[in-house]
Amino acid sequence: MTSTLPAVTAAKVPAAHRAAPETPSTGAAPPSARLRALRPDLLVCGGLLMVILVVQGWNIADYPTLSDDEGTYLAQAWAVQQGRGLAHYTYWYDHPPLGWIQIALLGWLPAKLSPGSMDVATMRIAMLLISGVSAVLGYVLGRRLSLPRWAAGLGMALFGLSPLAVVLSREIFLDNIAVMWLLLAFCLAASPSRHLWHHFGAGLAAAAGVLTKETMLVVLPALFVTMWRHSHRDTRKFALTGAVTACALLGFSYPLFALLKGELLPGAGHVSLWDGITYQMSRPGSGFVLDPGSGSYGVLHSWLYYDRVLPLGGLAGALLLLLTWRWSLTARALAGPSLAVAILAAVALRPNGYLPAMYVIGALPFLALVLAGGAASVVHAIVCRGRSEREKRYVTGGRYALTAVLALTAGAYVVPHWYDGDRTAVTADANKPYRQASRWLSTKVADPKDTRVLVDDALWLDLVHAGYRPGLGAIWFYKADLDPAVTKTMPHGWRDIDYVVASPTVRRDAKDLPNVRAAIQHSAPVATFGTGDDRIEIRRIGATATGGAR
Amino acid sequence: MLTSVFIAAVSLALFWMAAFTLWWQMHAWRTPEVLASTRFGRPDGGEHLSFSLLLPARHEQAVLDHTIQRLLESTHTDFEIIVIVGHDDPETTAVAEQAAARDPRVRVVVDTHEKKNKPKAMNTALPHCRGDVVGVFDAEDQVHPELLTHVDHAFRTTRADVVQGGVQLINFHSSWYSLRNCLEYFFWFRSRLHLHAQKGFIPLGGNTVFVRTDVLREADGWDPDCLAEDCDLGVRLSSVGKKVVVAYDSDMVTREETPGSLMSLLKQRTRWNQGFLQVYRKKDWRELPGFGQRLLARYTLMTPFMQAFSGVVIPLNAAVALFLDVPVGVAFLTFLPLVTAVVTFVFEVVGLHDFGVQYGLRVRLSHYVKLIVGGPFYQVLLAGAAIRAVWREQRGRNDWELTTHVGAHLAEPLREDVPA
Repeated sequence: MTSTLPAVTAAKVPAAHRAAPETPSTGAAPPSARLRALRPDLLVCGGLLMVILVVQGWNIADYPTLSDDEGTYLAQAWAVQQGRGLAHYTYWYDHPPLGWIQIALLGWLPAKLSPGSMDVATMRIAMLLISGVSAVLGYVLGRRLSLPRWAAGLGMALFGLSPLAVVLSREIFLDNIAVMWLLLAFCLAASPSRHLWHHFGAGLAAAAGVLTKETMLVVLPALFVTMWRHSHRDTRKFALTGAVTACALLGFSYPLFALLKGELLPGAGHVSLWDGITYQMSRPGSGFVLDPGSGSYGVLHSWLYYDRVLPLGGLAGALLLLLTWRWSLTARALAGPSLAVAILAAVALRPNGYLPAMYVIGALPFLALVLAGGAASVVHAIVCRGRSEREKRYVTGGRYALTAVLALTAGAYVVPHWYDGDRTAVTADANKPYRQASRWLSTKVADPKDTRVLVDDALWLDLVHAGYRPGLGAIWFYKADLDPAVTKTMPHGWRDIDYVVASPTVRRDAKDLPNVRAAIQHSAPVATFGTGDDRIEIRRIGATATGGAR
Repeated sequence: MLTSVFIAAVSLALFWMAAFTLWWQMHAWRTPEVLASTRFGRPDGGEHLSFSLLLPARHEQAVLDHTIQRLLESTHTDFEIIVIVGHDDPETTAVAEQAAARDPRVRVVVDTHEKKNKPKAMNTALPHCRGDVVGVFDAEDQVHPELLTHVDHAFRTTRADVVQGGVQLINFHSSWYSLRNCLEYFFWFRSRLHLHAQKGFIPLGGNTVFVRTDVLREADGWDPDCLAEDCDLGVRLSSVGKKVVVAYDSDMVTREETPGSLMSLLKQRTRWNQGFLQVYRKKDWRELPGFGQRLLARYTLMTPFMQAFSGVVIPLNAAVALFLDVPVGVAFLTFLPLVTAVVTFVFEVVGLHDFGVQYGLRVRLSHYVKLIVGGPFYQVLLAGAAIRAVWREQRGRNDWELTTHVGAHLAEPLREDVPA
């Protein structure tokens, strides 16, 4: 046998960096011993994962309401599966395509087995896989940032069971997939072995996250800080430059793709990456988030409606950790997640930025980690600070009693709120009108192949599976005004359309879309599902206003 | 279609070649623990081994005396220096005899072979060695006074049969190719050689290498007909399971200089490559017990072939991708080798910085620029040397059948006998 001086590869290293051991020990522990040492972690993590999967998975198809964006991404994933390119309409660089390419891969086998399963409600199951992976990664990250087992578990539970997280992670949003990649990147960056290629992998994972949802770009500095803290002085420059290079190279594949297609810069007769970016950067702002009249304020309150503990508690936790940086080991260990929360909060506080409803998804795991870390910090301060060997027993007892009181108080506030929120999530049926509309259009229309319908994205795939022609038969409603390739086929405007499915989204956006507005005006409901603002009307062009079905 | 498949296959092959090379090149920096383990252990003060230091010298009267004096300054208490000179080289012999007259630790052995090369010289001296360990140095080497004490300690604590110390070219500022040449040594001795030692297959370097005398005699010394006798010795010893330990300390390395001209670098590299091919064809590496080890051996010894291959194919591939109409996906694949090249460049830049820090040398911006700009040209040089080696080895094989003196006539002057 030949060998170098033996190298230690499995040293357990806390978040605070420490010099490499002078005298390396004899090598890695055997797998069975490692598994034994991991058993408590596996039990905690596995148990929590079961609970999270049940809460998130139960009733996933019926709650929350199908969103237009989910339909968009899934339809584009369907187009990828069908080999129709990156979208069934012209791909115009609205987002990098990696997100729905992954959805396409996830849905590939189900779609092979049963083509009809590629609809929004069914494919939400795929998101369960994503959020399961994310939850486990959240736990691993907590442990790697040297949180005690209970605190890492708390973080995982906060991230997995907060009603806000339950609602958002059920939906087919690119952000959910991107968060998974970012969590993977953080886990690799905090790798206890401080391995060069783990850091390199962290760079790749981060780039995958950014290519899935470009907003993840703002979190990268926090990732860098985490990597800096977890690398060793002697190997840091190789590790960090490796990670940055990996991230940049993979990230550049997107502009390279545009370049190879000749769509990097704007030009006559084609879309371009430049135009896509310009559009996203110039989206009209939704106002200052703390101004009660603004749209952003509404978005903020829609989050707080589901849960106040995680967003507000997490913010407070981040503040606490950043303020106690000098004294608290936990605060320094959680520098990365705290910074991520701080950056995301700062971006949300732009005076007149665009704040989409899914923005908070990127912050959820970090909020949870920071809140759990803050809790760990407080508990540590109560139980351990200033404690000596000769301390009186009643003082020690008092420390534990105070901890218990705090835990009970927190639990008494959180549990009832979350119970209500999660009960709604596992019982409510918000999508009945959609299912009914889908069934009506699949069964009551005589000749779907030659029928043209303006429909929102969430229902679009249902129509495609029912036999409508994708793109020009079943039409994403706003394409009737915005896509020249579609308007060209409608020389007579609304007269070339047979039906409009007026869902809340369609009615809301119709005021800016003349063709859609005209189609609604010149049509009458032939079937209506649901009541009030949430109703879905199927309106036939040219029908008399009398023929309504309930 | 056929073009696309061809381009994709070639691109992927190039990508994996470069990726593996990069993976191995970065071995020492994988984790802080690995980096720490590549250094010599701190000596415990005990000195139990005796050394016989071989110093083959040929027409090197100018530098030989200095090298001997410096070796004699060693802090170790038990060693002898055996200077090996040729019977047809009176100037060097005179310098060696003077040194021997001044200090009883110096002895002179005369090599009387008609055709001279380094392995023959060292084999001539081997029966005269009295030490427990035989060490090899070149006549122009600058050896650190505490090296022997460290090596002694390494032998005793690791029960090694072979200890390979670091060799480092230092004059990175001399020219664009010496910059790259220095960095090549840096990555090789600092990093990759440790991986080879760990995997149990190692082509040894040409100097600052120490072998237990009985092990060396058992292996019949060096192969006198091999152009890379150092590499060959390492392969033969690791194939029979001898334990090799590599240690690299920046203040303990043997310092050398790059070849004086581009042409001599090309010749040196040709010889090294051809030596590798000879070792490959001797098939001693097939005795290695592990499949992975044999694969690593095959790959490492075939590197000249690969370099020649990539030297021809990379430009062809790029041209095809540029001038022929291929699908976007395939065009994407053609960028994969470029990606590994960029990662390699970045790590080389960081390596150059680390080199500067380790040796207290000031690396300027212009050096980094030279490193990057010179990269492709150096690749051309390597590919040229590889093609040249393959071509010469083809002819060498014919010579073998005629004269049974493989490659001996190809031997360059001793100075270019570089570590593999």
